[in-house]
Amino acid sequence: MYLRRFILGAAAAAPMLVALAGAARADVISSDDAKTFITQSGKQLVDIVNNSSGTQKGTALRQLVNQIVAVDQVGDYVLGRYVNVATPQQHQDFQTLFHQLLSYNITYQINAYQGVSFTVNSATPQGNDMLVDTTITAPGKAPADVGWAVDNVGGQPKITDVIVAGTSLRITTRNDYASVIADNGGQVSALLAAMQKQITRLSAAQ
Amino acid sequence: MDKTKATLKRRLRQSLAGIAPGLLLATALSGCATAPPKTDAADYQAYQQLNDPIEPTNRFFYKVNDGLDTYFMKPVAKGYVDITTQGIRNHVGNFVTNIGEPARFVNFMFEGMPKDTGTALVRFLVNSTIGIGGIFDPATSFGYKETDTDFGLTLAIWGMPPGPYLYLPGFGPSGVRDVLNIPVEYFATPMELAPESAALNDFGYAEAGLHLINTRANFLGPIDQVKATALDPYATFRSLYRQSRASAIQQIYLSNGQTPPAWVQPQP
Repeated sequence: MYLRRFILGAAAAAPMLVALAGAARADVISSDDAKTFITQSGKQLVDIVNNSSGTQKGTALRQLVNQIVAVDQVGDYVLGRYVNVATPQQHQDFQTLFHQLLSYNITYQINAYQGVSFTVNSATPQGNDMLVDTTITAPGKAPADVGWAVDNVGGQPKITDVIVAGTSLRITTRNDYASVIADNGGQVSALLAAMQKQITRLSAAQ
Repeated sequence: MDKTKATLKRRLRQSLAGIAPGLLLATALSGCATAPPKTDAADYQAYQQLNDPIEPTNRFFYKVNDGLDTYFMKPVAKGYVDITTQGIRNHVGNFVTNIGEPARFVNFMFEGMPKDTGTALVRFLVNSTIGIGGIFDPATSFGYKETDTDFGLTLAIWGMPPGPYLYLPGFGPSGVRDVLNIPVEYFATPMELAPESAALNDFGYAEAGLHLINTRANFLGPIDQVKATALDPYATFRSLYRQSRASAIQQIYLSNGQTPPAWVQPQP
């Protein structure tokens, strides 16, 4: 009796599941689209790094980061289980600080790459994302293989992670932030204070 | 004279081999992190996943190493970068990698990875001859790309879990499983097969020193970046170490033509 109901129910639900699976697949970005997106974004990045300077460079980089990176989604991933612990105000403050800090961090790191060039190699699916492998070269530095995870966010391709030598930037940042919160008795406010302090320090250095 | 040096080398080896268990004992006795109560399920789970029960001691040794690095290793590495080109540093890296190839060959055999074993053998033979003693890496251009391994990764492939995180004075990030690699690494070099001689001993010390400085020089940028951008550099280095070990295991399976098991995927 129960088996018959189960089989009938499964048969009725099957077309719906297939439709849902089709919809889910449609959301996954194709390898060609991901490679094109990374090629275009990389060109913009290289142009800013090699052709601007000072505050103009910093501003241009921050604008580009907000345009090509899924900052809100990455921010929520990085905050991890503390998304449920943070108050709505703390969550909003975190997102604001995360936007600023990510831009400052990228600006800090990219400053060492004057004369940078890059080549896009291949793209392979990784979970929900498409991982685009690139090789970045800069004068006086060994070539670096960098992977860019790209996903469709709000109908637009966006970067969701950066993989260098098998290490994920968002996992590393998540562990970094979780450590700050855990060392301060599980208080999200301690993380916000540490982020603010870091932004002040990095903006003074730039 | 040679006999004295040989005795000294033997004693050094014995003392180094004794470091690992001594460190484990010292760290276990000197400071433990306080686990959250089991009633707080999310916190307790996060603590277990962190697997760093002697975090206060590890943080102490991190500070010691950081001081040594700031005032000694980093200035030496910067000086080395000033007097060398990227090309020279690549050749030094190739040479050091080639010396480690026989140890990789043995580890891949123990891991049951026939393709990786063959690659390590071909790389050593090609690079030691055509590559002029390993200074050049023609094997990579012939399609035999380097895959790294060591005894810690062999133990991992045998199914040994990584165990609690350890930050060792001098050696840096490690774990209860990976610390066993230190004494094995010390003996697993082709120089061990050659007869004892003063010249060989000197070569061994020079190679070890150059390896250390060249590696530190390659990481000048990344280490500075982590220290400048991370909120908690200790936690960031811990995360990077664990992810890179998981990635190395994954790479061994992939280069051998196998699907990596699910447990080697890096966990958030």
